Amino acid sequence: MSLRRTQALFRRVVREIRRDRPSIALLFIAPLVVTGLLTFILREGETPTIDALIVNQAGQPGTLVAAELTRALEAEGATVQAAADEVSARTAVADESATVAVLLPADLATAQPPTITILTNGLDPSADGAQVAAVQRAFLAVVASAANGAPPTIEHTTIYGVPSSDPLVAFAPALVAFFAYFFVYLLTGVSFLRERTGGTLERLMATPVARGEIVTGYSLGFGLFATLQVALLLVWVIGSVQVPSIGPLPAFAVGLGVDVAGSPVLAFLVVVVLALGAVSLGIFLSTFARTELQVIQFIPIVLTPQFLLSGVLFPISSLPAVLQPLTAIMPLTYAVDGLRQIFVRGADLGIAELRFDILVLVAFAIGFATVASLTIRREIA
Amino acid sequence: MGQPPVLATGSGGAGVPAIRAVGLCKSFGPIRAVDDISVDLAHGRIYGLLGPNGSGKTTLIRLLVGLAAPTAGSAEVLGVAMPSRDNLRRIGYMTQADGVYPSLTAAENASFFAAAYGIRDASAVAQALDVVELADRRDAITATLSGGQRRRLSLACALVHRPPVLFLDEPTVGVDPLLRIQFWEHFRTLADAGTTIIVSSHVMDEADRCDELLFMRSGRVSARGTGAELRRAAGTDDLELAFIRLSEGPEVEP
Repeated sequence: MSLRRTQALFRRVVREIRRDRPSIALLFIAPLVVTGLLTFILREGETPTIDALIVNQAGQPGTLVAAELTRALEAEGATVQAAADEVSARTAVADESATVAVLLPADLATAQPPTITILTNGLDPSADGAQVAAVQRAFLAVVASAANGAPPTIEHTTIYGVPSSDPLVAFAPALVAFFAYFFVYLLTGVSFLRERTGGTLERLMATPVARGEIVTGYSLGFGLFATLQVALLLVWVIGSVQVPSIGPLPAFAVGLGVDVAGSPVLAFLVVVVLALGAVSLGIFLSTFARTELQVIQFIPIVLTPQFLLSGVLFPISSLPAVLQPLTAIMPLTYAVDGLRQIFVRGADLGIAELRFDILVLVAFAIGFATVASLTIRREIA
Repeated sequence: MGQPPVLATGSGGAGVPAIRAVGLCKSFGPIRAVDDISVDLAHGRIYGLLGPNGSGKTTLIRLLVGLAAPTAGSAEVLGVAMPSRDNLRRIGYMTQADGVYPSLTAAENASFFAAAYGIRDASAVAQALDVVELADRRDAITATLSGGQRRRLSLACALVHRPPVLFLDEPTVGVDPLLRIQFWEHFRTLADAGTTIIVSSHVMDEADRCDELLFMRSGRVSARGTGAELRRAAGTDDLELAFIRLSEGPEVEP
């Protein structure tokens, strides 16, 4: 082993990296940004707003419990109102004018123990969890002050979906959206970069081909594969095929078998629109990359914040207040919400929230395509 | 900005020249890559753009094709001001890089560029591959072709729409001597049929195959004329020496 040659190699590597400014920036800045963002979310997250409704079905004995519970919930920072009956409470939680409703049963005084029902929306299980936990803590306080009664059984029900039976129902749509977005971006970014660096774009610009034609052609080409990818991913997530045991092999199921309340075709359309936006994003960002490595380095800048902020992992309502407006400019936010509307709520196009999500995603796709075609210039040098 | 010594007019008949540049300039920051070039080039001739690396040959071609915006001046091809997307139909451009898709076959590359030029005729593809003698390799994946074969494919992609004006940026680099002769024979056939060809090169031994030469130095046309005229003007039989003398400087790459 020659020391000189090794040293020459070492020097060359250092020199190369030193001249690759984006690499340097990403090497040192990206980890700080990502870990900083994550810490900020976890540590400075907003306590979820609790707008509670208490429905007292127990008459006189319930009044005392309702009053104690109100006091305990208000100590948690909640606003508490009384609701006349279960139907009006359900309506309020469904239209999100209340975040949680507590139903005190008619047999509150007689049953041992009574069953208290907590009602939440159900679209976002992690946000619901915070609501349920707050009510449970309030009840513990009530029971402690009462000092005599047996702690009540608490039952959690939701307007949409089934609470916590399968965490994947809400999580799977977020993952489908994220991975479709991620892989389509990566594929387009790298292949368009090759077009730029391999001299074929220069040559293509010397033909009568228009910029819009290039973006459309790319969107169709990668859109085809994105469509296939999304279809496969959805079949994998939704489907479940039981394979009977063969010889020594035990029986097993293929597919995640996540229940979808709404139409899988509609879910498919939402992800395809998202993926088409990712094609143009890839073309656009390839302008700023000189090497394939740099396309990959955009991931912590462009994709990781979306993963952390768009509701994939953490409910948007629990993010630090300063970060919440950012979620409005992220396509993934709308895709995740739209897919949850379909998966959990069973939304169809009659639901205004879903129509809005799809509309915003279409606007993003068109916007990215316009910007992408502007980055393809005849003057490349 | 002195005008280059014009040793021959080049322009044959009346009417619009095939290519016209008027006061063409292109700067990249402080560097003048193309510095006040004015030329008229006639139809059906082969023009050799000769000069060392970095003398502005590629930038001049890109300005004429409309791939770069001039800092000053204007360019016309076949009477149409460049850049013009529509006019690109009548222009062929073989880039210095091969500019072909490695994962496609030779025929797929040629027919892709044919389609980009609006040609749907399959015989055009077959003919272009025939001309560069790649007909037997038409179904080979481009990445598996040799360097010379890829160069030939690149030429085929520039010819496939039979353009009346052809820009060839160092077309014979990496091409073996035998094929080089065939390339030039083909260029001559095209020129005889009326095609105007601009060939850039930094090797002088191809110069005599051109009808007329433009010596380029530091972004300018330092001399222009036939090989014989330039030799006579420089008082030497050696074209390389002629180049150095007419470019008024010693630091010329061989």
